[in-house]
Amino acid sequence: MSIVSFISGGLLLTGGIVLIIGSIGLVRFPDFFTRLHAASVVDTLGVMLMIAGLIPLAGFSLATLKLFLILVFVLLTSPTAGHALAKAALHGHLKPELDTQEKGQA
Amino acid sequence: MDDAIINLGLLTMLAITALAVIRVQDLFAVAMLMGIFSLICAGFFVTLDAVDVAFTEAAVGAGISTLLVLSTLAITKREQSSRPRFRPVALLTVVLTGLLLVYATWDIHPYGDMSSPVHQHIGKRYLQESSEHTGIPNVVTSVLASYRGYDTMGELTVIFTAGVGVILLLGRSRKAAVNVDDEDDSRGTS
Amino acid sequence: MWMMKTIAGEHHNAGRAELAMESNLVLRITAKMLMPFILLFGLYVQFHGDFGPGGGFQAGVIFATGIILYGLVFGLDNLRELVPSGLVRIVSASGLLLYIGVGVVSMLKGGSLLDYNLLSHDPVHGQHLGIFLVELGVGMTVAAVMTNMFILFARP
Repeated sequence: MSIVSFISGGLLLTGGIVLIIGSIGLVRFPDFFTRLHAASVVDTLGVMLMIAGLIPLAGFSLATLKLFLILVFVLLTSPTAGHALAKAALHGHLKPELDTQEKGQA
Repeated sequence: MDDAIINLGLLTMLAITALAVIRVQDLFAVAMLMGIFSLICAGFFVTLDAVDVAFTEAAVGAGISTLLVLSTLAITKREQSSRPRFRPVALLTVVLTGLLLVYATWDIHPYGDMSSPVHQHIGKRYLQESSEHTGIPNVVTSVLASYRGYDTMGELTVIFTAGVGVILLLGRSRKAAVNVDDEDDSRGTS
Repeated sequence: MWMMKTIAGEHHNAGRAELAMESNLVLRITAKMLMPFILLFGLYVQFHGDFGPGGGFQAGVIFATGIILYGLVFGLDNLRELVPSGLVRIVSASGLLLYIGVGVVSMLKGGSLLDYNLLSHDPVHGQHLGIFLVELGVGMTVAAVMTNMFILFARP
């Protein structure tokens, strides 16, 4: 019991830390694309770690299967959503802020 | 205690989202915020153990109504046309109604109190006898479809009527718009 | 946001819209992979509503979401081919008719409207059958009405 709770606790804690780091990045990063990078990558990893941490707690039952299916769903949809957002931004003529441009101007 | 912290957090987020919906001018952002509002509501229903309601709220409120609002925005404009001006009478009415509702909550029994009238009346019988009457373990489904079958029929009629209304309002104009477009195209090519 | 893009893509001239469709490879493949599972989940929610959370309303909305996802990614013309407007109207009406029909059948069997006890020889079995049919009617109407609303609102 203690090993199971140790594993799931570790996974949940890692997931939480990753999500907090991503949220900080979401607020601190300068433009849309870097923010999207923080949001989508971290969202995928953090949520997957959280669900993976819940799987040992559920034991071996139907809930385990459902959590696993949610894991696969997040793995598929979250990067796709990030991709769609980035493409939509490019389609809407939003240019990424590049460091080289500033140097060229200066 | 844990429940209190979660509920307080969810309610604070609800209030912030509601204020943001009022303040934000970009209607696309408002549509997204309404979706977030529904999702927080769904989480709130889960903490109240109303899983069926939370499911409906997440599917309808956060899912499909956001989609429908966004597709409406695609027909109309994205920006709010005019900023509503300050109206003291409206503010007074809203504040008074809110205070009245807060006053009314003082009479509500605590959550899960067995002596409250809700649990003393017929609800108790439904919970105890539903399974042997209908053979269905989920009491929500048996109440919705059997004990309160009339109500559900009314709800379904409302949804059907809404669908008919949308067909009557938009179904014809689409054909007209397509015809106009065709004419424009033919003029353009000739 | 990608819906905006899909709809906006149809406004533009043909060459650009074609380009947009071609470059939406990731979206299209993911949508193709997910759509059957979303529809399956809708059916699961519909028929598992007796035992867990779920029922006709949620199932109808989830089913409609799967169909709308197809329309968002592949365009409204393909969606209209998949679900013709006549079919949507017939399904939305027949769901409500199924609900009322169950009530009328129980009336014809000598009871009051929506008295499921009389649908079968055994009252419990009758209740089960009645609730099943009624939830099916709810799911049909909700799915069809939501799909139709999206088609009509998102016209190009």
